[in-house]
Amino acid sequence: MGLISAIGDSVEENRISLQHGRSGIGDIQFYQTAHAGKLPSAEVKYSTEELNKKIFGRRNPTITRTSLLALHAAGEAIEDSGLTKEAIHSPDTALVGATTVGGMCLTDELYHDANAKGGGTPYLSSYDYASVTMAMQERFGISGEISTINTACSSSANSILYGARLIRHGFARRVIVGGAESLAKFTINGFNALNILSSKPCAPFDRDRSGLNLGEGAAFLVLEREEDLKGKKSYAILSGFGNKNDAYHPSSNSPEGLGPFLSMKEALESSGLNERDINYINAHGTGTENNDETESRAMIRLFEKVPPFSSTKSFTGHTLGAAGAVEAVYSILSLVHQELYPSLSFQNPIPETGLIPVLQFIKKPMQHIMSNSFGFGGNCSTLIFSKT
Amino acid sequence: METADLKRQLKEQIIHFLNLTTVKPEDIKDDEPLFGEGLGLDSIDSIELIVLLSREYGINIQDPKEGRKILSDINTMVDFIEKNRTK
Amino acid sequence: MAYFHLPVCISPQNSFPEVDLYQIRESKNNLLEVMEPAYPGIPAAARRRMGKSVRMAVGAALPILEKFPQPDGIIIATANGGMEDCIKFLNQIVEYNEGLLTPANFVQSTSNAAASQIALVTKNHNYNITHVHRGLAFENALMDTMMLLKENKDAGYLLGSTDVISAYNYNIDRNAGCFRDELILNTHLFQSKAKGTIPGEGAFMVMMNNQKMGASAGLNSVKTIHSIDPLTILKTLEKFLSENFMPGEWPDLLLTGEDGDERLLPYIDIVESSMDKCVPVARFKHFCGDYCTASSFACWISMQIFETGTIPELLIKKRGATKPVRKILIYNNFRGAQHAFILVSAV
Repeated sequence: MGLISAIGDSVEENRISLQHGRSGIGDIQFYQTAHAGKLPSAEVKYSTEELNKKIFGRRNPTITRTSLLALHAAGEAIEDSGLTKEAIHSPDTALVGATTVGGMCLTDELYHDANAKGGGTPYLSSYDYASVTMAMQERFGISGEISTINTACSSSANSILYGARLIRHGFARRVIVGGAESLAKFTINGFNALNILSSKPCAPFDRDRSGLNLGEGAAFLVLEREEDLKGKKSYAILSGFGNKNDAYHPSSNSPEGLGPFLSMKEALESSGLNERDINYINAHGTGTENNDETESRAMIRLFEKVPPFSSTKSFTGHTLGAAGAVEAVYSILSLVHQELYPSLSFQNPIPETGLIPVLQFIKKPMQHIMSNSFGFGGNCSTLIFSKT
Repeated sequence: METADLKRQLKEQIIHFLNLTTVKPEDIKDDEPLFGEGLGLDSIDSIELIVLLSREYGINIQDPKEGRKILSDINTMVDFIEKNRTK
Repeated sequence: MAYFHLPVCISPQNSFPEVDLYQIRESKNNLLEVMEPAYPGIPAAARRRMGKSVRMAVGAALPILEKFPQPDGIIIATANGGMEDCIKFLNQIVEYNEGLLTPANFVQSTSNAAASQIALVTKNHNYNITHVHRGLAFENALMDTMMLLKENKDAGYLLGSTDVISAYNYNIDRNAGCFRDELILNTHLFQSKAKGTIPGEGAFMVMMNNQKMGASAGLNSVKTIHSIDPLTILKTLEKFLSENFMPGEWPDLLLTGEDGDERLLPYIDIVESSMDKCVPVARFKHFCGDYCTASSFACWISMQIFETGTIPELLIKKRGATKPVRKILIYNNFRGAQHAFILVSAV
């Protein structure tokens, strides 16, 4: 696994922050936007120049911040996986990326180029979503099946389940899956225009929650077939997944949380597990009025007794296209180390649902963890990870 | 501006702003609810109308919930505009 | 095998609602733009929230959804869908200096807008995904659907693609040297050797299931390659042929995405020359223009060829043996870096 976020630039650093309740949400330091100082966000604590230098040694003039984050996280994942160079370059190694911003973090350059104002910037081929995946393809020499998915906030959850199916159907023997996202005026202003950004650190599932904070980051995981492990360490099993659509409204969930309910239910059914088997849910929990209430209703409907749950978005902000993968890594860390990370900033439960998330870091024996990612357009995805 | 003219102007602006291509100003009744039934607008439209009020009439509504009360129908909107416009 | 049913294509040519591939509509100002039909089935309330790419996708899907109202999944491919709205929102950001902005353009600009609008208007709660991998987005969507049909034998999936010419890809790609500098008609695209092609757009929708009866075509195989080396493409093709054809057997038609860009001719040449001389060659991009999901247009053309039993004259590059066209090998590449082979067959 590999991960970079506002709370650390490796899986281990992230874990330490989660254990110590250290959130990465604060004022925007690096990104140039009129909203800096007004809208708390969870930035990766490196400038783009620094990220560029870290990866390329010298400044690569056409690469975007989103791609740099992806390269960083995918690099850690590939090294952690112990895959040989031969395996990485093999035509049966696939790559599935995800992003909702891609190179559009370069809003000013994009404005310049899209309106044909003079000669082009160096980023002409770097704006689209695929550019992030292609940067990884080129850097790591991936020659198998390659795909990029954009289903808004559920994108990288879908890249994980799509990658798993590529293996299941013999299109690949191993897949690098995940997503990446960086701050962009496009998303900051888009979410702000919808009045769902909070001017305070987000408080998922809290009665007085006032919206989400945007975050940046990237997470990648290497999926392999059990029979190919041959004694290599593995962190968890992807034992089930669900992908359903809420089909209610372009940017909010149905009041009863039908899409979230169906997605969790399908994940359970595909895993063969019973709802009582789920020991913890890493909730989508964005901190918006709509998501947290509807996700709560869906959990109450599906689970006779709602298992312990929390939203790590209270640490990392909402990393949009990367969220599914970031939270998959956190779910797996929970499983491997048998511990739960809290939901920060919670004071009072939502009166209509009464659910209270995990509030302290605790050790807990667990077998199965569920992770939710619900996006605009009703795209709801759920993943279930099980202990090896 | 006369109230009747303002009503007509507002209807035209709403149609244009919200891309209501199949609606004519005379189709919108002054006391017909804009949201839910009536014109059937939704939450995204309410935000768009708040922006319209700001751009065209210089009125800034901070609280979206307050905004929904003002955006109840053409009459309430026009009444509010007449009392609060700065443009 | 997966089968295509009720294909619908909205394109710069006469493809919907009536099909006429014996006449070619000319490009204007080096653009092959779609002439949008009326879309009577899209409710006004939904339509106002749709940019062109979503409108085309929903419009193409509706006739299929009349016969198959609740597909078990909606799989859409788009690389530039939504970009029109994206640029509108971007321009607002700059014009109003990140001040008070209207959210509709933002919400409509998301790649998954087409897939989600189709789900919304049909209240479809099933599998829903959007593939955006540039020139292979459609091939990925095909593979996704093939896998779904192996997992769920009795299911039916709505598969489609949509891409539009917008300021985003037109100005940006023109500046990147993707298009012809000189004014040229699509009908003369292959007559001069020069850098660049002309952009196009289109939407394609089809129902996919495991039922052979009544199908327009069968989907045999898909293979994608990321490479700029023509020899790698050749090696992949040779392997693809050996996996899908008996020794001495050849496709009945090679349909290529030759697009008039001389820089891509090495790839076209190496694929064409590896075919037996009995294999006729046709090409399609002078009809639809170049865009990321143009291979969907090639699939649709293939189904028209199977249905009529003839290859439209205006598509033919090289004649071959005259025999029934039962298997078509589609070869397409996007800007020489992403390549794909798709094999489809008549039923």
